[in-house]
Amino acid sequence: MQERVLDCLGEPCPVPLVKAQRALEDLEAGDILIVQIDHSCAMKSLPEWARDAGHNVEIEEIDNGEWEVVIEKS
Amino acid sequence: MIDGESRMWKKLSDALGRNEYYLLWLKDAWPYLTGALLLSILQIATMAVAGNPWGISGAITNWGAWTIEALGGSVEHWYYFSSESARAVLDRGILQDPVSIRNFGIIAGALFSVLIASSFKLKKIRTGKQVTAAVLGGLLMGYGMRVALGCNIGAFYSGISVLSLAGWVYGVFLLLGAIVGGKLLVRFFM
Amino acid sequence: MAGIKRHSHPRPRRHRSQIPLGILFGLLVLWIGIRFLRSSPTLAFFWFTGIAFGFVLQKARFCFTASMRDAFLTGRTRLTKAVLVAFAITSVGFWALMFGAHQSGRPIPGMAFVAPLGLHTVAGAFLFGLGMVIAGGCASGTLMRVGEGFTMQIIALLFFIIGSLLGAAHFRWWDVTIIQPAPRVHLPQLFGWFGSIAIQLVIIALLWIAADKYGKARQHAATGRTAQK
Repeated sequence: MQERVLDCLGEPCPVPLVKAQRALEDLEAGDILIVQIDHSCAMKSLPEWARDAGHNVEIEEIDNGEWEVVIEKS
Repeated sequence: MIDGESRMWKKLSDALGRNEYYLLWLKDAWPYLTGALLLSILQIATMAVAGNPWGISGAITNWGAWTIEALGGSVEHWYYFSSESARAVLDRGILQDPVSIRNFGIIAGALFSVLIASSFKLKKIRTGKQVTAAVLGGLLMGYGMRVALGCNIGAFYSGISVLSLAGWVYGVFLLLGAIVGGKLLVRFFM
Repeated sequence: MAGIKRHSHPRPRRHRSQIPLGILFGLLVLWIGIRFLRSSPTLAFFWFTGIAFGFVLQKARFCFTASMRDAFLTGRTRLTKAVLVAFAITSVGFWALMFGAHQSGRPIPGMAFVAPLGLHTVAGAFLFGLGMVIAGGCASGTLMRVGEGFTMQIIALLFFIIGSLLGAAHFRWWDVTIIQPAPRVHLPQLFGWFGSIAIQLVIIALLWIAADKYGKARQHAATGRTAQK
């Protein structure tokens, strides 16, 4: 069971999503990817894409305008 | 007194922050389709009142002209600004230009949206690449917009919606540009 | 939701309410609008619709750049489909206003946005598409993100203005050689009022289906690839 943290703070769209897609390809089912973002469009597009792809997703606002998207690969 | 006031503010904003309709309307992101519907209504209202649909880009170029004039220069001899109507807009000034006012409104509306959602954060530049991307992307976009007579909104969204063939052709080449841009972005700016 | 079990602790939450600030800013926006209303109702209309455009764009994270870029880059087509829906609804509304004006003999609104179609459309749209993806937002997206506090988009807006001035500086050549000879093609001239809106809606529907199928195919490809591993 692996857990990876991806720091995408300050990264504009679509960089967080592209990076998360690449990171997920390297992970196994059950592994967890935590993506840190502060791009307000990515806080919608990233969880939405990950849910569409069938993964478990949670999102938490850590600070004003900063989110952690927790993706459990399925 | 001031202490009591700030406590009242805090109570009020805490209560609002937990309200389910606050969360639904002002905190959480809306579905894209809600956005599509509301933007359409605003577009149609704009067309009905102003006689023209939503456009952004003309004012952007005028902001440049006003800046040049504010710095002591002149755009009098520029072909682009030589028409009587262009001159009239420039002479009235930025605060009398409806399209500029609407553009300021877009900035203010977005700021209001993030503040009321408690999600405002000043996002600093993180890498030099981002500066290069902003400079290069901004220049390409500005030049392309002027030559194509509009941006994504005026030439594409509004262009297609007024049943103009140019709007559709704009869309095809916009998509091609975006595909090439995406490849460059991943290759050089990520 | 059941909750994902993570090993690392989430970073400590430091979230503070900005609602009071938001309310104060909202009152300021309203006050400016009322000032405009006294001097010019037209300016007040543009101010309030601008606020609404910006608010809706931000709330729905409606990004025209992403709608063009993400399909090929990430396989995500939800936004592409939403933009097509907006085009369909707006087209019907505009069509009604234009056709109504035509029927009653009034000047048809929006005809200034039926632009000449020529090589400048092709070249300019391509450059615009390239630039908006690299800059991280088109015109509306850049304005919205300036409001959201993105330093990168403040720089982008600055060079957006400079780029458009460069375009304006070359405008004589473009206008005389390409734009002036180019025809303005309004679809109702070609297909009639009813034919044009029908064709337009059918094309939008077909594009919506294509975007949907493409998005699903990309999703299958992605999950298939991981399943093989």
